[in-house]
Amino acid sequence: MSVRLATKAIEEFGHHKRTLLAPILRLATLLALCLILTLLSENFLTWNNIINVLRQSTMLVVIGLGLTAVVLTAGIDLSVGGVLALVGCLTAQLLRSGVPIPLAMLIGIGVGAILGYFNGILVGIIGLPPFVATYGTKWIAEGLALILMQGQIIFGLPKAFRWIGAGYIWIIPAPIIITAVLALIFHILLSKTTIGYDIYALGTNREAAFYSGINVRAVSLLVYTLSGITAAIAGLLMTARLDAAEVGMGEPFLMQGMASVVMGGTSLMGGVGSIGGTIIGALILTLVVNGLNLLGISSLVHNIVTGGVILLAVFGDSVLRKYSE
Amino acid sequence: MLDGEPIIQVKGIVKDFPGVRALDNVSLDIRPGEVHVLMGENGAGKSTLAKILMGVITPDAGEIIYKGKSIQIRTPLEAQSYGIGGVHQEFMLVPWLNVAQNIFINREPKRWKGLPFIDHRRMHEESAKALAKFGISVDTRQPVKYLGTAVQQMIEICKVLTTGPKVLILDEPTAVLTEREVEKLFQYIKVLQSQGVAIIYISHRLAEIRRIGDRVTVLRDGKYVGTVPVREVTDDTLVQMMVGRNITQMYPRHRRASGPELLRVKGLCVKDGPQEVDLVVHEGEIVGLVGLVGAGRTELARAIFGIDRPVKGEITVKGKPVWPKSPQQMIRYGLGLLPEDRKRYGLALNMPVTKNVIMASLRRHFRFMIDSQKIEKLSNNYINELRIATPSAYRLVRYLSGGNQQKVVLAKWLDTESKLFIFDEPTRGIDVGAKVEVHALMDKLVQEGAGILMISSELPEVLGMSDRIYVMFRGRIIGHFRYDEADQEKIGALMLGIGVKEADAS
Ligand SMILES: Nc1ncnc2c1ncn2[C@@H]1O[C@H](COP(=O)(O)OP(=O)(O)OP(=O)(O)O)[C@@H](O)[C@H]1O
Ligand SMILES: [Mg+2]
Repeated sequence: MSVRLATKAIEEFGHHKRTLLAPILRLATLLALCLILTLLSENFLTWNNIINVLRQSTMLVVIGLGLTAVVLTAGIDLSVGGVLALVGCLTAQLLRSGVPIPLAMLIGIGVGAILGYFNGILVGIIGLPPFVATYGTKWIAEGLALILMQGQIIFGLPKAFRWIGAGYIWIIPAPIIITAVLALIFHILLSKTTIGYDIYALGTNREAAFYSGINVRAVSLLVYTLSGITAAIAGLLMTARLDAAEVGMGEPFLMQGMASVVMGGTSLMGGVGSIGGTIIGALILTLVVNGLNLLGISSLVHNIVTGGVILLAVFGDSVLRKYSE
Repeated sequence: MLDGEPIIQVKGIVKDFPGVRALDNVSLDIRPGEVHVLMGENGAGKSTLAKILMGVITPDAGEIIYKGKSIQIRTPLEAQSYGIGGVHQEFMLVPWLNVAQNIFINREPKRWKGLPFIDHRRMHEESAKALAKFGISVDTRQPVKYLGTAVQQMIEICKVLTTGPKVLILDEPTAVLTEREVEKLFQYIKVLQSQGVAIIYISHRLAEIRRIGDRVTVLRDGKYVGTVPVREVTDDTLVQMMVGRNITQMYPRHRRASGPELLRVKGLCVKDGPQEVDLVVHEGEIVGLVGLVGAGRTELARAIFGIDRPVKGEITVKGKPVWPKSPQQMIRYGLGLLPEDRKRYGLALNMPVTKNVIMASLRRHFRFMIDSQKIEKLSNNYINELRIATPSAYRLVRYLSGGNQQKVVLAKWLDTESKLFIFDEPTRGIDVGAKVEVHALMDKLVQEGAGILMISSELPEVLGMSDRIYVMFRGRIIGHFRYDEADQEKIGALMLGIGVKEADAS
């Protein structure tokens, strides 16, 4: 019996060899990147730099968590940058006017959740295409931030609040710990729970999921709400880290967040992907920028290189996918 | 007509998939003007052979000989250049393209020779003409996704026929057709045959093979078992060749006194669908629901299951009135629906068997955290019980053969432990052996107190399995029989609306 099970396991591994190839290659790319940077720059493999890279990647990872859930259902969320900015600005305003820190943070996250829920209604209940619906929400969020800030920038936030972005637990930066905990929660949610199952099922075949009694509307509402929440948390981390908030602070994160998710192997068609992949995607993206900095390459070129890396990764993934057909 | 040079020969074909040898040294020859039937259990390798000839997959070893010359068929286009074309077991149409675009995909008629301007008028005219040959009139400007499965199937057939094939491969073409279309198709096959077209015909239905087949080749577990002239072989021998054992009874039914009422539908109306439908299903009963394509059987099932909203009527489940709002709600009431189109509504093809089996019953087993070992054990139980041919419970469902996919859908609904099932074409695409198993399973379910409403286009199955039979015609129920009052002629005539008063019929 156990022999039979073992042979079956081996056969199945043979069958999945090709599907395992992509994650392995992704991990190898990450390690290769580290190796190259270690050889090119003696400053790379230092404790400070490693911690620095991890801290920089936290923003992308946190945004990527909710985004992964959305993309797994074959959706997309273009409002994450806007939500991030709005929540950052709003929380900063609240803190400056003396609202207690926990309450201000809670309100910030709540606003993120509401905007996410709004996306969920537009997509899951009314049935708008996610691309259009969430793009509209992006403009609403950014518009609200503009009204809120009237063109100013807020500095000088309470020290206790800044801790979540700039503080340490022992020798490890607090944002890294917070991100790790969130990532673990999302990983378990997606891979080990009934809710995660529903998300994958919806992304694989929406109609079959519906026919099987899965509440497809509730799942849509949930994933967009989660994405709003993680974008909001990223907004808090960012504001705390910079000790400042301004309207344009979310701008770079939409494309980079999506890029992390896609580079992590999550298919835009839905149903395929994982949190682990998204983390690797975010790390690769961060490392590329870090490497360019270490090598003293002008920041004017960064966007071009980042864009190239993203294209290369997505191209590689699609080739692999064809091959494993 | 049956003799003469073979147009196509395959020799020693081998095809391996990870964990399974789908074809193992298979050889056969096809002659012009013959209908060569391929038979065998689910997973025997029939579709694999068909796909090799159509250039969709390439064999690992072996030779294909076309008119005496050894050839290679690497792409569907190459197959077409040899005049080989066919209809796959699974739908291959592009859902959002319209009927004519689908028929002429990749070879649209041009307005001026050599220039890339499509002659839309001709495209639509010719599509309509091709479909009309089968008595089908649809708006060729409609996207095919809005059409029923039978019409879609006929579109696929027309798509091949308009290429003028010399070798026509039909992989279970009748699985989604009703008698009327089947009739038309068979007449047309005879015409093609007289023009010297060779036809490779895959089917599980013995009756069909008797009607149109000339020779039949049987495969078992990827191996060639033998080729025999249809006229010289008995059904029993064929079954014996296929499954390696004898099957004594196609319809193992133990009828019992029916129990209390499980489902009552009263005056149910659906927009553009069923009208004023009354029906009941009791505990311990299999109730057949027959009718032509478009009679509204599937629409009725969808309305009862909460997929389409009915406009008026009453539904009671176990005496409790319900207004169906969603499948989720109806599953909670103990209802299960095995849908007719498994690929679209029944399965998540890119998920493993395990995750498909658990799809409708996940929350019955787990509240929040999932125990994947329990799911594996459960899936393996169904794999054994229903004899699903798969190397492992973790194989993606898309890699299973059609019949085994159907069994996975069945397993999914069995695991809900529902009391009341609507089975829409439950044995579609299932081999004889498995069919008997499914029938036995249905019998067991009702013995244990379930009730089944069975929609089927196979009259012998309906007559053999049902306790009572409803006949639907143009959205209305126009006949109701006890099984011992019914026979093929009576029901067949009613299905066509013969004997229905004009007032009712329109
Ligand atoms: N792409 C694939 N990858 C892996 N295994 C496959 C693939 N296609 C087919 N198989 C396997 O090859 C075997 C033969 O499949 P095939 O589809 O030819 O069966 P079939 O005779 O057409 O059965 P059915 O009557 O159920 O349609 C099956 O065990 C099936 O699981
Ligand atoms: Mg087949």
